[in-house]
Amino acid sequence: MDELLSEFVAETQESLEALANVAVALEADPSDRKLLDELFRFFHTVKGSCGFLNLPRFERLSHAAEDVLSDIRAGEGAPDAATITAVLAVMDRIAELCMAVDSGTSLPDTNDDELIEMLRHCHRMAGVAISAPEGLAVAADEVPIPQNGAPVRGAGTSRTIRLPLTLIDQLMNGVSDMVLARNEVARKLRTSDADPELETAFERLSGCIADMRDSISKTRMQRVERLFMAIPRMARDLGRELGKSIDLVLEGGEVEMDREMVEMVVDPLTHIVRNAIDHGIEAPAQRREAGKPETGSLVISARQSGSQIVIEVADDGRGINVDAVTNKVISAGLMTAQDVAQLNEQAKLDLIFTPGLSTAQAITSISGRGVGMDIVRANVERIGGVISLANDPGRGLTITMRVPLTLTIIPGLILNAGGLNFAIPRTAVVEILHSNNPTVTVAELGGGLTATIRDMRYSMVDLEDVINIPKVDQIGPRSLMIVRSASGKPFILGVGTVENHEELVIRPAAPVVMAAGIYAGMTLPDNGQPMLLLDAGGIAQAAELPLIAEHVEREDRGVAAVDEATETFAALRFIELTGEERVIRLALVDRVEDIPAHCFSSVGGVSHVSVADRLVACAAHFEAANIPGDSKEVTCLRIRDGARELCYPIASIVDIHELPAKLDMSARYGMVAGVVLIEGHQVEAIDSLALLAGVHEPSDQSEGTSVRCVIADQADSWNREILAPLLVQAGYEVVWGHQSGASRPDDVLVLTSAEASPLEVQPDAVVRLRSKSQPGGPDDQSVYRYDRDALLSAISSAHERRGAA
Amino acid sequence: MSGLYLFARIAGTPVAICTDEVEAVVRLKELSPAPGAPPYVAGLFAVRSRVLTIINAAALVAGSDNDCRPGCEEGHFAVVCEIGGHSYGIMVDSVDDIQTIDTAPLPICGRVSDAWQPYAKTVIEHDGSAHFILSMTDFLESCLYAQAA
Repeated sequence: MDELLSEFVAETQESLEALANVAVALEADPSDRKLLDELFRFFHTVKGSCGFLNLPRFERLSHAAEDVLSDIRAGEGAPDAATITAVLAVMDRIAELCMAVDSGTSLPDTNDDELIEMLRHCHRMAGVAISAPEGLAVAADEVPIPQNGAPVRGAGTSRTIRLPLTLIDQLMNGVSDMVLARNEVARKLRTSDADPELETAFERLSGCIADMRDSISKTRMQRVERLFMAIPRMARDLGRELGKSIDLVLEGGEVEMDREMVEMVVDPLTHIVRNAIDHGIEAPAQRREAGKPETGSLVISARQSGSQIVIEVADDGRGINVDAVTNKVISAGLMTAQDVAQLNEQAKLDLIFTPGLSTAQAITSISGRGVGMDIVRANVERIGGVISLANDPGRGLTITMRVPLTLTIIPGLILNAGGLNFAIPRTAVVEILHSNNPTVTVAELGGGLTATIRDMRYSMVDLEDVINIPKVDQIGPRSLMIVRSASGKPFILGVGTVENHEELVIRPAAPVVMAAGIYAGMTLPDNGQPMLLLDAGGIAQAAELPLIAEHVEREDRGVAAVDEATETFAALRFIELTGEERVIRLALVDRVEDIPAHCFSSVGGVSHVSVADRLVACAAHFEAANIPGDSKEVTCLRIRDGARELCYPIASIVDIHELPAKLDMSARYGMVAGVVLIEGHQVEAIDSLALLAGVHEPSDQSEGTSVRCVIADQADSWNREILAPLLVQAGYEVVWGHQSGASRPDDVLVLTSAEASPLEVQPDAVVRLRSKSQPGGPDDQSVYRYDRDALLSAISSAHERRGAA
Repeated sequence: MSGLYLFARIAGTPVAICTDEVEAVVRLKELSPAPGAPPYVAGLFAVRSRVLTIINAAALVAGSDNDCRPGCEEGHFAVVCEIGGHSYGIMVDSVDDIQTIDTAPLPICGRVSDAWQPYAKTVIEHDGSAHFILSMTDFLESCLYAQAA
């Protein structure tokens, strides 16, 4: 919220400075409608912003000024000197308030009302002055305007700096020019036999430029989240004010877009959302009548579509009443009824963008003065964007803004079609093939082209046909590009040739050019000849391609059968520490890592390696002794199957091979599943299952269902110092007999042979230990206490018996 | 109101452009065409690292049937102006003069042909002949709206 507020203050201050001149110019030329509009819009914006920032004083002041200016716009009264003075006084007061907000101090609310009254008075006088004698207007002039002392800028400090966009543009253009110059030098260096020292120096320069470009692009990119930040609060406040309940859904906040774009889109988006809540979504009672849930839904989503960001605001309100719009247009005298009658439905809908039009029944403090959609469209188009409406009367309205990802540097491909060069973002291109490639068949059916590439059918279109230029004869095959369209389905774009791959600085193209619908911007490559950047989605739309892609049924079943037999997997071939060559499925290898030799240790026949403060099991056959004494680091395959993890120390990696799924010879022994033949060598294939099965499962103490072992005699030092740690390590929870408390049915009682079994314990829950290695007799079920394996298995089988019982 | 005007010819018609709107006048060389765009978009032209969208004013005024083959713009002058954040070059037949005119713009007398109707609002006298006063902003905006409708 603080950020919003400081931004509002900074923006308002900035506008105020510029607008003082506008007000003065208006005074000089009262007939200048543009100046008046500009002034009016400022107050309108301030009113709108402070409405949801909860700044009532701002709101009152700007509302009053807006009212007066609105009247003047409607032709009631003229912006005479007195009115302008009063407007300027209001602006000064807003500036003072801004400073007060900025520095966190409060400005005494002494005479806001006085100012407002003054403004209204001047306005009334001016209105009269048109028809009344001169004297009255002079009287208005003489009304004293309360003056405040020179405003003092508060000592509030801000942690960010605001830069004028022009400066950032200059910086960006500078970097763009630098990239262009670098590319040109690179080209020159390639053609001449430059000496290596020069090339090294150039490489360094090139790297610096790349870094700089990266950081500058980073300063420009911002998550769309920022754009969404103010919306929930606004929706809530507006909803409360209007007595509507709104279910707001924000999607795609993680999409990144140009900072400048974010700033340019904030205002239009705010406007659209405000309109949607104010005019779109009906009051709960109306919604009930219409059979809709009382809570209105407002979905705002952002997504990247090729080189554009698509921002959609969809509500389920009443939609646009097209008749109301056309009536309004006609009654406002903006168009004649005949003109309107000739428009199609979509064009009628687009009339909502006509300047000076509002369909709202009543002017509210939220929206509905007829400034709005025209400004929204102007703002969106200024950044090379497109705004479109999908109206479903009675059921909702979806407004889609498509703004380009422009003013950025993207890797692009330069292609030639019909003798002209075009660029296309490389991200849009999946694959490029020559038309004479044997895997490609192009068929023409009734004028439509279909290309089949490796059993996939694609819609195909030649770029020359889309842009309506003749194809030129060329030597060599044409190029087919598999291009991703906005809908995600690829299609084939046939072009003359694909010439080059370059980093391109993209700038927005003029609206007249963008209107063609197939361009995303323009670029100036290092040859100095401007090029247009193609928009893959636009081309698909312009060419009206049905975007389908499907697998072709294989004609030859035999081919499929052969394929099955030759099904392969990627395998990593390596040399064991002990010298054998083996292969392992590559998919199992998480990564390959060099681990210092001292991190390995073998304890009790089990090898572990400490990696980042924890122990990871080593492959079971690994012995620390196999590590060559002189090596500091050991190459390890980190293997993971989702649940188990293990470290497989090896001597070295040889290569990656595609191996048939069936081994040449199956011969299971230990870790090896069989033998495969690679380039004439016999290589052992690791048995993945055996490998992972050999991993000692680390005991998991954290699980609450661990098995409890009750040891009866705590006083016995052998029990305490040897048996208990052993059991804990094996994953049991050790409980001493006297503190066992509520015994659980699956408790296992460990007794030494001398002790008597407590009566309440079932005999099958008892494991008896004896200190002699030989059993005392044929009935002796006890376990020798130094026989670890027998002891643990006796406990676990006792536990299983108890668990089953 | 007096002002400094750039006097040029568009489709043979003398026009005056207020120099406040004019950034520069450049002589065009080879343009990059913009196929798919309306016929009055002659193409793109680079001035250093800036790319201008060149509008063939004659084609815009006279309509698309104006004869403009690719390459015909070679050697023509273009008036550079920035409108709505985009840089445009308005291609004119010729640039005649730059002169301060002290007289106020005059209303149009006589029936102006349909082609000029949307663009010509006032007239100014210079060198003994009348010139239409063109606002580049209006000129381009009207062409955008004409296209949108």
